[in-house]
Amino acid sequence: MAMPRAFAEAQRLLRLDKSRLDDFVEALKKVADVYGPVRKGVQHSFQLLEDKRPELDYHTTILPPKKLLHEPFEKLFSFEEDRVEVVQSVPKRPQVLLGIHPCDVHAIEILDQVYGGEYEDPYYQKRREQTVIIALNCTTVHDNCFCSSLGTGPELKSGYDLLMTDLGDQFLVEVGTPRGAELVAEAGLEPAPRVTLVDKERRLSEARNRLRKRLLTQDLDQLLKDNFRHPVWEELRHECLACGSCTMVCPTCFCYNTVDVLNLDLKSGWRERVWDSCLLLDYAQVAQGMNFRKDRDARIKHRVYHKLVYYEPQFGTLGCVGCGRCIDTCIKGIDITEIIRELRGE
Amino acid sequence: MTQPKIAIFKLSSCAGCQLEVLNLEPYLLQLAGVLDISYFVMAKRDNAPGPYDIGFVEGAVTCGEEIAKLKRARKDCKVLVALGSCACYGGIPSMKNWEPQREVEKRVYEDLSAIESTKAFGIDQYVPVDAYLKGCPVSKEELVNFIKSTLLGMRPYLRPHSVCVECKLGENVCVFLSHREPCMGPVTTAGCGALCPARGKACDGCRGPANDPNPVSLAEAFKELGLHRPDIIRRFRKYAGATLEFEKGVEAL
Repeated sequence: MAMPRAFAEAQRLLRLDKSRLDDFVEALKKVADVYGPVRKGVQHSFQLLEDKRPELDYHTTILPPKKLLHEPFEKLFSFEEDRVEVVQSVPKRPQVLLGIHPCDVHAIEILDQVYGGEYEDPYYQKRREQTVIIALNCTTVHDNCFCSSLGTGPELKSGYDLLMTDLGDQFLVEVGTPRGAELVAEAGLEPAPRVTLVDKERRLSEARNRLRKRLLTQDLDQLLKDNFRHPVWEELRHECLACGSCTMVCPTCFCYNTVDVLNLDLKSGWRERVWDSCLLLDYAQVAQGMNFRKDRDARIKHRVYHKLVYYEPQFGTLGCVGCGRCIDTCIKGIDITEIIRELRGE
Repeated sequence: MTQPKIAIFKLSSCAGCQLEVLNLEPYLLQLAGVLDISYFVMAKRDNAPGPYDIGFVEGAVTCGEEIAKLKRARKDCKVLVALGSCACYGGIPSMKNWEPQREVEKRVYEDLSAIESTKAFGIDQYVPVDAYLKGCPVSKEELVNFIKSTLLGMRPYLRPHSVCVECKLGENVCVFLSHREPCMGPVTTAGCGALCPARGKACDGCRGPANDPNPVSLAEAFKELGLHRPDIIRRFRKYAGATLEFEKGVEAL
């Protein structure tokens, strides 16, 4: 997208009547592929908004928007005997992620570091450059949300191109970047009076007060280091199904497996990467069947420690954004916040 | 390279897995170019005697005659593959293992004098098996993937973990949590692409235990869903009750 001429002068506070949401989405579709939350059975999922309307009052999605930046299955290159051709299935048009919650935006910022820090991942980065984030503050919260404990919600402070807040019959739209400014200019949104910020503050503070779940992060690093042999891990070994769901739905999990797929001529094929999970037995298996994390409790522990201890020295932030998906998806109701509470003796 | 010789044998089964081989239609012509399907009674009239390079055995072993047939196949094949859950674990026929043999026979046959049936077991009860292609029926994709890898002398990648992983990769709505269906997915081997849950149906466990399942914990979750003990036992014994892992699910209650 070209840079707008005068971002500095652009109106940063705008309003969008809910009755005009469809028009706004249509305007976005002219310049980009627009993905938003749509209903999937009793849950929600980010989908390309072709003929579907986004349901912005959704609570969460099965998979995080990560799936549009780091796809579950991604072709890396194809080969034919000695010839290798790199495939980058980057969308031709920019993609707009519409209505993503603050926790998910924070998760994308973590992924930006994972795939753009010491080791650059060109596949991720190409998609990321093409991605416009229209975030949506959370004015409603769900039982398993605990974003306020991690400073990742319910209000977003940065990391967006546009930021929407539901004010009842209208959305407040705040502009975060020149790209965002260009989009609202094309959609022709009206300016909003500054006083709407008061309404926004009120709604977000109400949402914050409604958050029930907490994950106390104070001295978390030390707490976990001191409790490597705590009985809670043994309990979890019996409880956990090791099905891998918690990691598959996590917005900050970034592990993948790489496999070669051959055509029937056995000479040509492609290499693809597929999401993988440290909860699975085969994840840490090496040659001759040796496995570094053979026991289920070792794998559960690894997941929790990776999110809450190992991320910080590497990426300068905790690896959990409090979206609650791992709790939502667990058949056994295993809850990372409960694990921490138990370790704290609460 | 001479074309590797393939043989497909049938023991006690519904022939559904062999049918899946025939259903490989889109690939079959290309496969026929790289393989010599020399023994496949269901599909062709002229069948060549062994030795073969790869032998696929469909079905459970349920009588002495089949044990002999299986041992012969083992001798004839360099690589012997259990094709489908019956050959892997006993499959559907193994449901009878938990009822008195005579009672089961009476339900089907009038004259029991000629019946020499035993308990139904997977083929590795009697012979060493090189690979297991699970499922009722087998997954066509997995079968093709297996053939390609074997021809190249590579270890095939057969997903060893739970069906839940494939459910999430496909972003399916969880039938257990959303519809309170007793889904066997968390303890069942993936590789089917989460075929049933993707269509809103609970996993039936047809592919047998995943590599590190926790059937005890799942049986408890079923109980919390309101399933009675016999229902839970039936779920664990439908295809792979003869496995140690699924037997744990039965014993959990």
